[in-house]
Amino acid sequence: MKLDKLSVGGLGCLVVLVLFALGGLAGLGGDPDAIVGPRLQPPGPGWWLGTDNLGRSVLPRVMEGVGTTLLLSSIAVLLTAALSATFGIIAGYRGGYLNELVMRLVEVLYSFPAIVLAILVAAVLGPGQLAALASIVLVTIPLMTRLVRAAAVAVSQRDYVTSAVISGARLPRVLGRHVLPNVAGTIAVQGTYALSVGIAVEGGLSFLGFGVQPPQASLGVLIQQGGTYMIAAPWLILGPGVVLVVAILAINVVGDGLRDRLEPRETRSLT
Amino acid sequence: MRLVMWWSGRALSSAATLLGVSVLIFAAVRLMPGGFAETVLGPFATAEQKAELATRYGLDQPVFMQYGHWLSAVAGGDFGVSMISRQPVGAELLARLPVTAELTVLAVLASVLVGVPLGVLTAVRARPGGGGAAGRLLSGLGVSVPEFVLGSLVVFVFSRYALGLQVGSWVPVTADPAANLATMILPAAVLSVFSISVTARTTRDAVMGVLVEQYVTAAVGRGESPWFIVRHHILRNAATPVVTLIGTTTAYLLGGALIVEHVFNLPGVGSYIVQAVGRRDYAVVQAGVLLAAGVFIVMNVLIDLLVGALDPRLGVTAGRRS
Amino acid sequence: MSLLSVRNLVIDYAKTRALDGADLELAQGETVGLVGESGSGKSTLGSAVGRLLPRSALRTEGEVVLAGEPVFDLPPGRLRHLRKRHLGFVFQDPIASLNPTMRVGAQLRLVLGRGGDVGFHLGRVRLDDARVTRAYPHQLSGGMAQRVAIAMAMATSPELLVADEPTAALDSQVREEVSDMVFSLAAEAGTSILWLSHDLPAVARRCDRVAVMYGGRVVENGPAREVLGNPVHPYTAALAGASPAAAAHGTRLEPVPGRPPVLTGPAPGCAFAPRCPFAVERCEHERPEPVRVRDQHVLCHRAEELADQRVPEVTA
Repeated sequence: MKLDKLSVGGLGCLVVLVLFALGGLAGLGGDPDAIVGPRLQPPGPGWWLGTDNLGRSVLPRVMEGVGTTLLLSSIAVLLTAALSATFGIIAGYRGGYLNELVMRLVEVLYSFPAIVLAILVAAVLGPGQLAALASIVLVTIPLMTRLVRAAAVAVSQRDYVTSAVISGARLPRVLGRHVLPNVAGTIAVQGTYALSVGIAVEGGLSFLGFGVQPPQASLGVLIQQGGTYMIAAPWLILGPGVVLVVAILAINVVGDGLRDRLEPRETRSLT
Repeated sequence: MRLVMWWSGRALSSAATLLGVSVLIFAAVRLMPGGFAETVLGPFATAEQKAELATRYGLDQPVFMQYGHWLSAVAGGDFGVSMISRQPVGAELLARLPVTAELTVLAVLASVLVGVPLGVLTAVRARPGGGGAAGRLLSGLGVSVPEFVLGSLVVFVFSRYALGLQVGSWVPVTADPAANLATMILPAAVLSVFSISVTARTTRDAVMGVLVEQYVTAAVGRGESPWFIVRHHILRNAATPVVTLIGTTTAYLLGGALIVEHVFNLPGVGSYIVQAVGRRDYAVVQAGVLLAAGVFIVMNVLIDLLVGALDPRLGVTAGRRS
Repeated sequence: MSLLSVRNLVIDYAKTRALDGADLELAQGETVGLVGESGSGKSTLGSAVGRLLPRSALRTEGEVVLAGEPVFDLPPGRLRHLRKRHLGFVFQDPIASLNPTMRVGAQLRLVLGRGGDVGFHLGRVRLDDARVTRAYPHQLSGGMAQRVAIAMAMATSPELLVADEPTAALDSQVREEVSDMVFSLAAEAGTSILWLSHDLPAVARRCDRVAVMYGGRVVENGPAREVLGNPVHPYTAALAGASPAAAAHGTRLEPVPGRPPVLTGPAPGCAFAPRCPFAVERCEHERPEPVRVRDQHVLCHRAEELADQRVPEVTA
């Protein structure tokens, strides 16, 4: 499947970010927790992104941050995709009270603004990675489930599904073989967008102090730490900030490309 | 008549959702670390206070009765007492509401006044193939910068370099409207960036969807001018998804306001909630979250009413919200 | 006097070619039926007359001249004026061609402008009821909605009315009524008609002339009676033979074997060659030019041969 140039660029950016994170894991940028020099130094030799308020090099911390953020969000979105696919397909295909139940639950979740729901989760679970993970899942499930359900409804009315049912195929087979592949496109596109939402939610939650906890670094934590010393040392915020924006932008661009590929649009002129 | 029935159906359904939301919040608060009495009264509560709370909230009674008591208390405006300030939460929320409301209203206005025309314009000029990379990057950028990043950057820029607008030093609108606006303009702008971009995108999608409808082709075939067509055929028909989006945007803006208030240090409901979570002032968290969700739900019911008035096909086809 | 002149029109989309050199002439006051299966290009040709194609359509070659103006080369303002003054369109899906959020009366008033008489125009299509004026399009039946669309198209008394299968989506009882209405209104106003359809006998019954399309070209074009009764082009003959209405009692219906082509570029020869029972080698790689046989213009290398014989020799 071919994507347009912009989406390929976005995908390239993501690959670079993943490599960046892996490099962090391998210790290529240095030790994120080690104090390497004087505090609040601007970027220079020995510390290519500067040092923070404790004298730690910012570069390995950003690398760790990217890794944590990406890993957390990816796991969460995979979970969401699995759950939404299951609930969405069952609700869309079966209809009836099962449909009503699922949609009602989803609607309740959907009524909370994302950050508010995340904060509630963090208050219940206690701040930390688990809270961040659970928040992302709960925030992204409503939208995905709705869309998967709508797609499943449309697909289940197609002839090839009806004929499969008539010829005696059992439910799991119908769902797995006929409904799922055709809903997969929607899941892929929305999953991509969910990933960008997830990263933003984790970032916001950690920024407020309820997500990933220091000394562990995620992009949100780094931005929050940088914010305190921002006036004296703007590089503390610019590094992680730019990386975060690039990550979200790249994901959105890939999502747009996927969507254009799966649902291309005809245009007409008004003249 | 059909419209009234359809709308009543949606209103009832929303009431049920609100109920579900209250159950979720109630359960969440019960699950929070620390006993319920401590949660509401704080860790320094005396035995008498705990006993009084127990009878007041019926803590010796089965869970769903407790829920009932809590619900009726909330319905009566009793949101409990803040552990930190010892003041009734309801009153504190009310005092801080105008700030959040002002921020949100400014952002919604910006979304509509900037986002909608932008969306219409880009839709009418769209070429096949999805448009130029530059345009997509720009609109992509608009939705990709989280408020806490943009907000922090703006605070930095305007604190470090004197550019005329001050950060902090909030003044109530009743005291000095001009000064108030000066302090609110930056946070409102930061808050609107995302919603303007989303509104523009959704409007663009909606308008492009309408552009290929046959009645637009028929209008073009009659020699009607582009502006005429936009005004009489497109706006009304593209309105439904856009108006619906404005409802959804409100939920997003309520959340965004939380962060923006925190970053810009504005005394609104959002920053109140954030502080409360940090200090384990759970009565406040409970009330604030309920308020946020409640506002969103009510907003959506009103939007449903508006959409029903705009599209005469609803009621007949029992239009679904999504 | 030629009102519409389409010459060698070639229209390409991103991956397919919709028109591969189409020619059509329409005189003032004439009614012409344009017949073809789906994929023949007739809708594209109909839309091209008013330059109403989607943005992804490219005019690679050829021209369309309407009332003396080159449609594809006009600046937007002149084009709009041309459409308003000279053209009327009626589409296949009646309800979809009306604005769904506007009442019928309001829409008609919008088209007529301030001084227009909505009641008069609705009366012309026999929809005088006040309830129609206040109704929304989705509340009307297909037949009623189509009559509204006709009223709107004829409101400016255009010189050419292009009707793209206007009765295909209607119930069979209503079809006759609506067709009658279109033709009588047009006759009254002196409007020419370009009527698109897939039904050759129905079209031949009402129109002065018939043009048959295949593979993006007009393969036969002549007086209706001749094209239906004495078709020259093998495709037209096959169409006439395959139609239930045209068959004589007791004879077999002969469907046309094979499928219509999907072009990705200019056809190397005659587009019908793969399915033609009379095809020879020349037909595969040489594009036919229009030939005049009797009263018809035909795109076939063997046109004169085939027309002379009563029972032509089958070679395939």
